[in-house]
Amino acid sequence: MRINLHVWRQPNTEAKGHIQLYTLDDVSPDMSFLEMLDVLNEQLIQKGDDPVAFESDCREGICGTCGMVIDGIPHGKQSGATVCQLHMRKFKDGDDIYVEPYRHTVFPVIKDLFVDRSAYDRIIQAGGYVSANVGSAPDANANPIPKGIADLAMDAAQCIGCGACAAACPNGSAMLFVAAKVSHFNLLPQGQPEKATRARAMVKRMEDEGFGGCSNYYECEAACPKNISVRFIAKLNRDYLYAAFKEGV
Amino acid sequence: MFKYLNHLVISKFVMAATGAFIVLFITGHAIGNLQIFLGKDALNTYAAFLQSLGEILWAERIVLGLAFVLHIITSIYLKLYNNKVRPTKYAVTKYIKARFSSRTMIWTGIMIGSFLVFHILHFTSRDIDPKYKEMHEVYQDEHASYFGFDETVMQATNANDFGIGMHPIIKQRHDTYAMVVDGFQNIWISLFYILAVILLGFHLSHAIQSMFQTLGINGPRFTPLMIKISNAYGIFIALAFAIVPLSVLLGFIGRGL
Repeated sequence: MRINLHVWRQPNTEAKGHIQLYTLDDVSPDMSFLEMLDVLNEQLIQKGDDPVAFESDCREGICGTCGMVIDGIPHGKQSGATVCQLHMRKFKDGDDIYVEPYRHTVFPVIKDLFVDRSAYDRIIQAGGYVSANVGSAPDANANPIPKGIADLAMDAAQCIGCGACAAACPNGSAMLFVAAKVSHFNLLPQGQPEKATRARAMVKRMEDEGFGGCSNYYECEAACPKNISVRFIAKLNRDYLYAAFKEGV
Repeated sequence: MFKYLNHLVISKFVMAATGAFIVLFITGHAIGNLQIFLGKDALNTYAAFLQSLGEILWAERIVLGLAFVLHIITSIYLKLYNNKVRPTKYAVTKYIKARFSSRTMIWTGIMIGSFLVFHILHFTSRDIDPKYKEMHEVYQDEHASYFGFDETVMQATNANDFGIGMHPIIKQRHDTYAMVVDGFQNIWISLFYILAVILLGFHLSHAIQSMFQTLGINGPRFTPLMIKISNAYGIFIALAFAIVPLSVLLGFIGRGL
């Protein structure tokens, strides 16, 4: 396959970036998108050019580190998958592919496709935990949890914090991330004592970081590599309303 | 008072709650309008009934006005705030799930708001065409008792012909029917109204389901159904409003008036 790759190049946070065209011949359809970028980088290094900086870690679709925007969609056009699980067979010979970093004031570009996503870590620090010391693992049936609730909490806990929701949202809102992180604790008995405080603190941190507000576009849900549902945003809204009455905002 | 704007989720609630109130009003307004098809008497009786509410009417107007002001201020503030989040645009923009109606809420909203100003000056305060203020209808109140007369009207009509002891009450009221027919016989005004209510329907098709989502009501069976209801409701409201100017334009209503 022959691919025309339009890649965002930006040497550092302050520099002004631009789109650079690279043409790659002999791309195998069995390569993952990241392997294709690896091939590009090998060629760039051989020529003495600066390789394209991008993040990757597990390369098996479970960590979300490889978040980047391909043809206007975070993680590319394959639904429910990260970039490393997007294969070149999804593209056609001679395709033009635009590769950009997440564009968000809260996710500044460090270099090329590499952005600083530590704002998500700070949101987790604000309340994405249970502060009681729960000791060692209890018996499985000591704390009865209905199957439906356990499944729902598990669906929320699937969030890998890759940043695609905020990158996809026309408003740059991180509500899907915050909703998933709040919900997976607030659904379970262990999360109940801090339910209101958690919803309030994590939303407040999200606002303080500078993320936008949710307008129910549902673009986050479409881009999410873990298919987190916007129903968790509805749950966060409920929990936040409860918290606002209980503790103020 | 506007401190809530610093809280994104509270701002959402304000949008949903004020929107809910406006939706209730719009539903009543659309259904009320349809009484024009029952004839002149039905519409003018309805209009006179609304006017007779007095303080209740003003209370409703104040609450509704407040809802509109909060809805508009919150939406514009949020839009300006959200626009700052992504100063560098993507080279390629693609939407998978964000519908056109959801992405144009602010624009359809602003257009509906401008229409609303015209509409109030046109049919409510009647300042655009002051002759609407003077349109009155003399009618006999068949539902009233046989006692009492409006002397001024009595003299102007042959009400005495009804005979002693059989006098229906002769009254005067605003002729809303004639005003609406006259207003919509102007093709440009009619087209403007029709365009505006189509935009309103479009706005509502996203608004209804969005309101439930914001208020935290979402479920695997409820939400897909609510999205369908939301679309259907938008179409219903646009049709229910548009059919009045359309009927006047096509001559189904008010011919020979």
